[in-house]
Amino acid sequence: LFIVINITPVNAQSPPGQPQVIGCRSYDKETVTCWWEPGSDGGLSTNYTVLYWTERTKTEQECPDYHSSGPYTCFFDKTHSSLWMYYFVYVKATNALGSNVSDIFRFEIGDVVQTYPPRNLTLLYETEKASLPYLLVTWVPPEKADVKMGWITLQYEVRLKEEKSHTWEKHLVDHQTKLKVFSLTPGEDYVVQVRCKADSKHWSEWSEESYIKIPGGSRKRDMTLWIS
Amino acid sequence: CPNGGTNCQIPTSALFDRAVKLSHYIHSLSSEMFNEFDERFTPGRRFLAKSGISCHTSSLNTPEDKEQARQIQHEDLLNLVLKVLRSWNDPLVHMVSEVQDIREAPDTILWKTVEVEEQTKRLLEGMERIIGRIQPGDLENEIYSPWPGPASIPGDENSRLFAFYNLLHCLRRDSHKIDNYLKLLKCRLIHEGNC
Repeated sequence: LFIVINITPVNAQSPPGQPQVIGCRSYDKETVTCWWEPGSDGGLSTNYTVLYWTERTKTEQECPDYHSSGPYTCFFDKTHSSLWMYYFVYVKATNALGSNVSDIFRFEIGDVVQTYPPRNLTLLYETEKASLPYLLVTWVPPEKADVKMGWITLQYEVRLKEEKSHTWEKHLVDHQTKLKVFSLTPGEDYVVQVRCKADSKHWSEWSEESYIKIPGGSRKRDMTLWIS
Repeated sequence: CPNGGTNCQIPTSALFDRAVKLSHYIHSLSSEMFNEFDERFTPGRRFLAKSGISCHTSSLNTPEDKEQARQIQHEDLLNLVLKVLRSWNDPLVHMVSEVQDIREAPDTILWKTVEVEEQTKRLLEGMERIIGRIQPGDLENEIYSPWPGPASIPGDENSRLFAFYNLLHCLRRDSHKIDNYLKLLKCRLIHEGNC
């Protein structure tokens, strides 16, 4: 009887695995952050560098700032950001046994603009001023998005639903920071959110939820009153 | 005006709205075209990385960031937009004829090229009207076309493909700039810098 035992050492050491650039995002169309993730370190102390070049520089440079946007990021401040120009970014991992590079990630700042969500979402149920009551939803543009100057123009999307419901009612809003919603069910609790999109195709995350109870809705009691 | 009145003109703000819509549309088409072409012809997306892309409009000194855009006078920015648009006249005509010979091109690219060519002409006309209103008599009439023309492109298949790719890339970028500048100008001229 022969028993073949295949032994793989647990602490095998190897060159680093392939790191990866996950993506890049600009909140303000002026600066940009790229996120990356290391591959396996091969059981050894591994050194990571983020390298990039642009159409203009053509020569490779190292990431100017690894800290401002947190761990595993590279932040390009205004002086290192050029619009209308491709950036080519990759990560290089090196340990004692060798090195490995990520795929090259190509982007243009204008294409990766994804702002923060809009802020100060407020809800006001207006019954007095109008013949038809409506819910007035207002918000302000996200932090860091210069919409005043027109550097960034935003489209908004508001969604609302009855709290217990699963389907959202959606409304697109161009530029304006308010929306009137008619025909809500009296007595129901509603939840509302808003998000926005710059010219690129990326929506921001949804804002925090806001809640409102639409007044009225005690129809049964009204009926009883009528009858009595 | 049919009755000799003065109030039948389209307000400048409405002209601007149209221009911005148009420029946005042109940019999104150009962008789609470039991406479709890029995906098909440059797997791995390294074409651009290796090659020397250059745009015929690069000699135009356009603002490259927010600060530069803030500092440029609106008259100058308007004229720059006009120059960039005019310098695309010939290359777009060339692209429309060229795209029909590219066998492997995505199906949608033909109508998109034609559409971009037509809409760019419309935008140019619109901009001439806007500038005529904002700075009457000051319309720069120089024909600006620094594009060296198709003769500068070598005849073999690959070079032609690359030349087309190069143009698409520049078109995408310039249409984005124009869109961006028009939005700035609209905020400055129509909304007094407070959009």
